[in-house]
Amino acid sequence: MSKRTTTYKRALTRRELLAGGMTLGAASLLAACVGTTSGGSGGGGGGTSSGLITLQNSIQDADPKAALEALVKAYPGGDVTMNSVATEQFRAQLTNYLRSGDSPEVLSWYAGSVARSYAEEGLLLDVSSLWEGDGACAGYSDALRSLSSDAAGKQIFVPTSYYWWSVFYKKSAFEKWGVEPPTTWDEFHALCENLSGQGIVPLTNGLSSTPWMASGWFDYLDLRINGAQYHRELLAGEHAFNDPEVVAVMEEYKRLIPYFDKNAASYTAQDAATPVAQDKSAMYLVGAFVSGYFPEDQRDDLDFFSVPVINDSVPTAEEAPTDGFFAAARSDNHQGALDLLSYLASADSQQQYIEQSKSSNLPTSPDVDTTSFSPLVQKGIELLNNTEEITQFFNRDSSDALQATADTALTKFLAQPDSMKSILDEWQTAAEGVFAS
Amino acid sequence: MSALAPPAAGAPAAVRDRPAPRLRRPKPARSPWLHVAMVPVTLLWLSPIVFVLFVAIRSYDDIAGRGLGAFPASFSLDGFATALTEGGVLRSLGNSVLVTVCAVVASLALSSFAAYALSRFDIPFRRTILLTMLAGNLLPPQILLVPVSSITEAIGIGDTLTALVVVQVGFGIGFYTFVLHGFMRSLPNEVFEAARLDGAGPGGIFWRIVLPLSRPSLAALAALATTWIFNDLIWAMTVLRTEAKFPITAALLNLQGGFASAWNVVAAGALIAAVPTAIVFFLFQKQFVSGLLVGANK
Repeated sequence: MSKRTTTYKRALTRRELLAGGMTLGAASLLAACVGTTSGGSGGGGGGTSSGLITLQNSIQDADPKAALEALVKAYPGGDVTMNSVATEQFRAQLTNYLRSGDSPEVLSWYAGSVARSYAEEGLLLDVSSLWEGDGACAGYSDALRSLSSDAAGKQIFVPTSYYWWSVFYKKSAFEKWGVEPPTTWDEFHALCENLSGQGIVPLTNGLSSTPWMASGWFDYLDLRINGAQYHRELLAGEHAFNDPEVVAVMEEYKRLIPYFDKNAASYTAQDAATPVAQDKSAMYLVGAFVSGYFPEDQRDDLDFFSVPVINDSVPTAEEAPTDGFFAAARSDNHQGALDLLSYLASADSQQQYIEQSKSSNLPTSPDVDTTSFSPLVQKGIELLNNTEEITQFFNRDSSDALQATADTALTKFLAQPDSMKSILDEWQTAAEGVFAS
Repeated sequence: MSALAPPAAGAPAAVRDRPAPRLRRPKPARSPWLHVAMVPVTLLWLSPIVFVLFVAIRSYDDIAGRGLGAFPASFSLDGFATALTEGGVLRSLGNSVLVTVCAVVASLALSSFAAYALSRFDIPFRRTILLTMLAGNLLPPQILLVPVSSITEAIGIGDTLTALVVVQVGFGIGFYTFVLHGFMRSLPNEVFEAARLDGAGPGGIFWRIVLPLSRPSLAALAALATTWIFNDLIWAMTVLRTEAKFPITAALLNLQGGFASAWNVVAAGALIAAVPTAIVFFLFQKQFVSGLLVGANK
């Protein structure tokens, strides 16, 4: 009997211990939880009110990100909290960032129609003070000024770098195959024929998770056949995608299809550079960010040529997407935002950023000393200085919604080039839906 | 059946050779065919992990020059080093562990209270309450993103880990309550009567009887909830925007580049991120299996 009681007692204490332990553990954990999080939020809250600045950015590639971090760390005007968010998430969250009550002061994004559409909603801070007098952007080119202005002519964007698109190739590979970069469109076709004959894939592309890469060739063919003015109007909805002008572009695109890598649809933009690195594929129409796709020891071997002229009655044009920053209208530190933008836009900052980021970015400020930049970047600057018209890229000249219609149409077209007419009709219907909304 | 024949035929011979034959025959050797079939299947299941491991230990130049799918021609731990230092994987792992522990403890505590009350007391409309709580779980999280984002913003906890814990608790509590309710309802009435005779109040019964008896289902739910909350990305991206507060899932996404991704760093980060869930799985293996049966034997 006594034995029974003791076991009962022991069992009871064990249970009590368990329950007690659980309560204690739970309480301390919850306390720790509340303590840390409230501490964190207190720091953040105190930060914004005491003049700290938040820089929300979508710069993801390792070297450019490190370069921006170094730049921000050296900012003399105060502490800047830098938040990097993956580009696609950033795109999805951008409206939230701008609408939130204590939105980040400065955000990285694209110039042109994308920035303009946020300005129309009243979400962006007027930064025209930087573009006047001795402001950091006062000396920028007129093209950049108009790209950074909203519908009313106020500047709402600070461009800090841009890059160019071109047909990239490896000098050593071209030497090995005994070919030269073409100067005319016929030479380009002859070059593709020649390379195919040698068993080399002339053109690579990566369309699997980056279907917008197909728009690169569309943009360039449209620029070369119909000109930049027509291209801008087309993307603004003033022409139809089933017009004869676009049909002519697609006919030219169709002629290129046999030269593309058969695996293009399963590569990403990054994967598509591997065959070029291995000398299995020759050329890649891509942005200058392509240098990051190659092993370090091949980057100096890269060269490029502009897509040759097709119709010499239209002005020359190149694509040069412009990146930079804007400031949120709803942040509580407008002066801090303007000061940081001014710092980021200055010639010294741009120079430091471009040198450290190792990517092939071009400065927007005319005062940057470009003599120390790599030959590739120098050639890029020359290309853009000598062209008559500059566009950005399909999505940046129109909208992400219109880009989606282009992705659908071009993916389908590359798979079934023979049903081009009906694909263009569908594209036009989809585009009308985008412009109507 | 023919698969079993060789070992069955071999067994009597072995018995005959023994000097002193025993009464109990040795167990027939297990059929090897299970392993013959399972080894390739296991390798197939492991292949993605091996692939990620191969990518993680290669250098970036090797990946860029020879493609993502090639066999490693280089060995470097740079990927791990970069992920841990520049990628902030350690800091975000800390955030993830903090959020997961707080959210699991809080949601299980609250839902065990709720389940106890709903299962053992005659609360009016208790069925409706339970079904309403469960109905919340049937809504896809995607349609709640915007409301959740603006509500956390409005009550001033936007962009804090507290908000993430609150959202996780709120979203999980319906299902946990439902499962615990089913379990607690099945506890025998006699236990409760005996406790009441011994003078235990409702609180005492909960602490001394209901909680200890519910341990199996609590452990199963804790194991499941830990993996769900640890692996969550969608709420973290909705609620948080400061990089220093990101949990591991969002930080992994950040490791990918806008144009070029350092795949060795991404793969190394993914492997590191998988370690805590793997540990939880090995510790709670039994509960995971019973967790899958939770609610099946009400």
